[in-house]
Amino acid sequence: MTLLELKNVSVHYGRIQAIHDMSFKVDEGEIVSLIGANGAGKTTTMRTVSGLLNPSSGSITFAGQDITRMKAHIRVIRGISQAPEGRGIFPGMTVMENLDMGSYGRKDRSVVANDLERVFDLFPRLKERAKQFGGTMSGGEQQMLAIGRALMSNPKLLLLDEPSMGLAPQFIRQIFKIITEINKQGTTVLLVEQNANQALARAHRAFVLETGEITHSGTGKDLLANPAIKEAYLGVG
Amino acid sequence: MSTTEGPTLIPDDAAAQAMMDREAKMKPRKGWFPGLGEKWNTLSRQKQWLILIVVVVIAYLLPILNPPLITTEPGNNWQIALAQMSVYALVAVGLNVVVGYAGLLDLGYVAFFAVGSYTAAMFTSPDSPYVHIPYLWTLPLAMAITMFFGVMLGVPTLRLRGDYLAIVTLGFGEIVRILATIIPAMKGQVGFQNVGHPPGTDSGGQPIFLNSNGTPWYWLTLTIIILVLLAAGNLERSRVGRAWIAIREDEDAAEIMGVPTFKYKVWAFAIGASVGGLSGALFAGQVGFVNNQKFDIATSILFLAAVVMGGTGNKVGAILGGSLVAYIPLRFTAIAEFKYLIFGAALVLIMIFRPGGILPARQSLLAYGRIAYNKVKALAMKKPGTGQLTTSTGKGAGDE
Ligand SMILES: Nc1ncnc2c1ncn2[C@@H]1O[C@H](COP(=O)(O)OP(=O)(O)OP(=O)(O)O)[C@@H](O)[C@H]1O
Ligand SMILES: [Mg+2]
Repeated sequence: MTLLELKNVSVHYGRIQAIHDMSFKVDEGEIVSLIGANGAGKTTTMRTVSGLLNPSSGSITFAGQDITRMKAHIRVIRGISQAPEGRGIFPGMTVMENLDMGSYGRKDRSVVANDLERVFDLFPRLKERAKQFGGTMSGGEQQMLAIGRALMSNPKLLLLDEPSMGLAPQFIRQIFKIITEINKQGTTVLLVEQNANQALARAHRAFVLETGEITHSGTGKDLLANPAIKEAYLGVG
Repeated sequence: MSTTEGPTLIPDDAAAQAMMDREAKMKPRKGWFPGLGEKWNTLSRQKQWLILIVVVVIAYLLPILNPPLITTEPGNNWQIALAQMSVYALVAVGLNVVVGYAGLLDLGYVAFFAVGSYTAAMFTSPDSPYVHIPYLWTLPLAMAITMFFGVMLGVPTLRLRGDYLAIVTLGFGEIVRILATIIPAMKGQVGFQNVGHPPGTDSGGQPIFLNSNGTPWYWLTLTIIILVLLAAGNLERSRVGRAWIAIREDEDAAEIMGVPTFKYKVWAFAIGASVGGLSGALFAGQVGFVNNQKFDIATSILFLAAVVMGGTGNKVGAILGGSLVAYIPLRFTAIAEFKYLIFGAALVLIMIFRPGGILPARQSLLAYGRIAYNKVKALAMKKPGTGQLTTSTGKGAGDE
């Protein structure tokens, strides 16, 4: 079943058009990867889905409902949660306070404890560091915190913007393993990555974004095998 | 081999950038008394109350004690100095809601102070041709009017990001001052004499609230400050307070946590405005005279200096900062002329060496931190078996 659908979405920054007439779907239960070079419009796409940016034309549908004009803070309650690029954690709040903010919009407070346990199970490090300030965590730990915090709203759709940015190689593998695990637990994932290898290998389906337009799409495996993509994004000639 | 991770990932650059970002963010906001907040929070409830009561009693006794060395006499009447310090402290508490809690830079706060002053003056002064109401009624009225202005100003500007708000508020501050000059009804520099005061006479038949007697004004303002502090403390611990802190730390992140950031920014702005109006009305009553001369931009900046010096985001710090900004020129009359220079230099030095101010903000955040900490503890108690730290990714929360 289709969970998220973008139809002919364009996004402008002032007069600059960052996204051109983009359409794609994300089905329930999938991991969908969006890959592309710097400035291709990946973050713009994510912020448009989460509601931090408004499209200048086109429509966005989520779980059968038109959310094109819906405010970001309402979209969270409806089930879209984002771990932003550069992590965007609250530096002056402790890990625990950050996680607590993740459940801010929820009415069902009684089950929040379960989600906290889920997050601590996925990222035991966060439990160890519960009282540490977000801003003093290492880069990798901040990434865990950003993902954990996004999970605290128990989302239907998790948006991850470059979760591997700035991480050591063995840590990148671990993060991707955890993303797969989150997906197995029933959360649909839309993933933006520069790390095309891992992103394609882990994804059910993927898109390649070039200057605001989707140029390739297919299953993760197809794209991994595609020579043009290999050359452009996988560093193999 | 790192090439297998893809050519677009440049680990060194990315890591260096991430490190720089992190360092920029995590600079601890050092203050003069950084440990004070933590110490305070480790005290038992009874001890906290005891200390608070002692401090409050001393505060109320200040006009009578007239402590040597600290006193502003002989240069300035001590009781009137206290009354002015308390008004400045209230101003700082109000501005702290806007700047400190929600992180909104308001450069025209004096405008709300002015609107509050004029409200008190125009509804009570015999120079005013309009309806006259008892002075005490002008306090809630000033709050309501300034809150209205706060919303009117906040709704269009708070949708925009950071810098715009600073510019718009700066403009608003000037507009109010200029209107007071050019609108005949507001009487420009002539102003309004004999602004009203609360009722009551002493045994000799003299009114209690005289312009020449600061003590009752000080006590009135101090009482209002305590009430405002209690309200602010409750707000801080509420969902609204958490939302403000989140907005201050990272507005976009707050929004995608489900915080209606726009609504809460307008709230902060309006609440701050109403406290500004309240302090303006108190100021007008105490001084007894309002004209267009006291509401310039420099005063706005002085208010801001009070908040920053006290420790942005800390209400106790705001009181200290506000009192100090009023106190120093009154105590050291020889340097009063240079007060803008002195506070300007102090601001710069604070920003360089102690960005947290006298009492850093974390003290107020901790109230919330403790709740969070207790939650973790409760959770740990509930599930003593989950102390193991392996990445048990095979096991989800769904199994529980
Ligand atoms: N706030 C902004 N104002 C103007 N232009 C912007 C803004 N944010 C992004 N852009 C432009 O929009 C385009 C897409 O940017 P976006 O951040 O979506 O790229 P990206 O694919 O996420 O890149 P990266 O991999 O570097 O994160 C770029 O050309 C960028 O310069
Ligand atoms: Mg990006």
